[in-house]
Amino acid sequence: MIRMVLIASWLLAGGCASAHYTLLPANTPVSVGSLSLQPPTAWNEAPKTSTPRARKESRSWTVDGLNLNRLMVIPDVEDGSPIFQNRNKAMALPVFRSDMLPNELVELTESSIEKLLGEGQSDVKAEHLRPHRFGGRAGVMFDLDITLADGPAYRGLAGAFISDSHLNLLVYIAAEPYYFDKDLDSAREIIENAHNS
Amino acid sequence: MWAPFCIALTGLFAVLTVAAELPTHLIPPGYQPEMSDEERGLWLEMKEFEEHLKRSPMLVRDPALNEVVTRIGCRVAGPYCPDIRIYILRNPAFNASMAPNGMMQVWTGLLLRVRSQDELASILGHEIAHYTRTDTLKRMRRLRKSLTTGSIFSLGLGVLTGVRTNVGEMAAIMNTLAFSREQESDADFLGASMMADAGFDPEASYEVWEMLIEEENYAVARGEEPSIFWRTHPPSEERALALHQFVANLQPVDIEERGPDPFLAVVSDHYVQFMEDQIDTNRFGRTEAILIHQAQKGVDPAMIAFFKGEMYRQRNAPGDTQLAIESYLQSCEGEQPYADAHRNLGYLYLKLHDRNGALEQFRQYLDLKPMASDREMIEFYLENQG
Repeated sequence: MIRMVLIASWLLAGGCASAHYTLLPANTPVSVGSLSLQPPTAWNEAPKTSTPRARKESRSWTVDGLNLNRLMVIPDVEDGSPIFQNRNKAMALPVFRSDMLPNELVELTESSIEKLLGEGQSDVKAEHLRPHRFGGRAGVMFDLDITLADGPAYRGLAGAFISDSHLNLLVYIAAEPYYFDKDLDSAREIIENAHNS
Repeated sequence: MWAPFCIALTGLFAVLTVAAELPTHLIPPGYQPEMSDEERGLWLEMKEFEEHLKRSPMLVRDPALNEVVTRIGCRVAGPYCPDIRIYILRNPAFNASMAPNGMMQVWTGLLLRVRSQDELASILGHEIAHYTRTDTLKRMRRLRKSLTTGSIFSLGLGVLTGVRTNVGEMAAIMNTLAFSREQESDADFLGASMMADAGFDPEASYEVWEMLIEEENYAVARGEEPSIFWRTHPPSEERALALHQFVANLQPVDIEERGPDPFLAVVSDHYVQFMEDQIDTNRFGRTEAILIHQAQKGVDPAMIAFFKGEMYRQRNAPGDTQLAIESYLQSCEGEQPYADAHRNLGYLYLKLHDRNGALEQFRQYLDLKPMASDREMIEFYLENQG
């Protein structure tokens, strides 16, 4: 167990935090930054102490615990900023640029999550990049396959769109088998229907 | 002004020292620790970890690659061959590490960079020398003394073995883990001697260092952090110089007749994945230096051009868009055009509002890669921009 936690230190924090989780009831609108979301089923918002690398405006939701499933809501990323907090220059996090096209949004997501999980300790691969409209905004969705050096496999679903030169990114990641499929429908509905307030 | 002189002087002293006494193996082939020894406990821990490592999804399992790397390691190890087990881990950094029980890890970033079987043999020889001189055991003991709890020890184990611990955590306890300068020098000389005895060209032992120096200087000059490997080893200029002089003093050995390099023939099948992993590191200075060395190594110019395009496009410095376009176009002129070059060229043309150019590249991409997983995205552009 310790081994798994070490390789997935970003998940570890979620399991050990003592701060409170906040219930997000089903079918109740939620605002995160400029994003409007409506979870069709109940989720729990993790305390910020559980996700130390998350940006200030970001939120992480889970159903069974961050180690098993999480929906990262990352709104309003400015041009020139990374999608996670850059605490260590050596980490070389990629930054968002407001002129990014779909291939580059995918690369930004893949590389950032790999660095979050531990460079050289994980492989994040995006598949099935496709167009999607978030409210009236053109954006993309794509699937993720995540391999860890020492831990369970994860799968993911991501949605991204740019509005007013700011990136809005939603990433659902959950363990395989079982957990990814269990909450996929709810996560997909949240991501697909995300839009600016 | 004094630095080169000091380095030269230090290297000279090192050579003179070694000329007098070549480091020797401190354990015999087939060595097993006594049951009561503390070392035995470490071996058992490493054995457990090794079983775990065998199941890691990041282990590169390609039989051909494992066979050629193990064969080279075995030649260098000579009678120690049965004691050494080599595992190839997917990690874009340059590194190799040896555990006290003969378990060696080689990272794919190292395999990407070395330019010949001789350079690989020199690194493997260096690590094998650490094993036969029990340096890794001494380092483990030092680490155990400095870390008090089991969980922290596990963290240290991850650093030593290359898995489970991320780069940032590695850096945090780096000082604890570096071999001493004397241990490194001894392993350099003994490793070079072993590879020469095995019929490899010992000059590769300093040439690989010179290559790494160039990469490191290139990356640091562009504002990037020194690599983990660089920080855990004594200054490379000094090592390269000392090795150069040591090799010059070696008795001439018969370098076997050379056909095509068997290592390069096999590793080329993995080139794309290893380079993609390097691109993902977002360290463009280092990537550029690697690509310069790859060109010298004889890697397909079209492939190098593609990855130059990737580097310029993602770096996005002033002028990089044009450099990326030129590189992708050069890649597309190769005998085996890389489909992704057409796609990314299409995206760049979109940014430049060259609609027709973009659509042409997207069509070529789908022609070359009809089952592309992003087909829906590309078709969206073809339908809506057409």
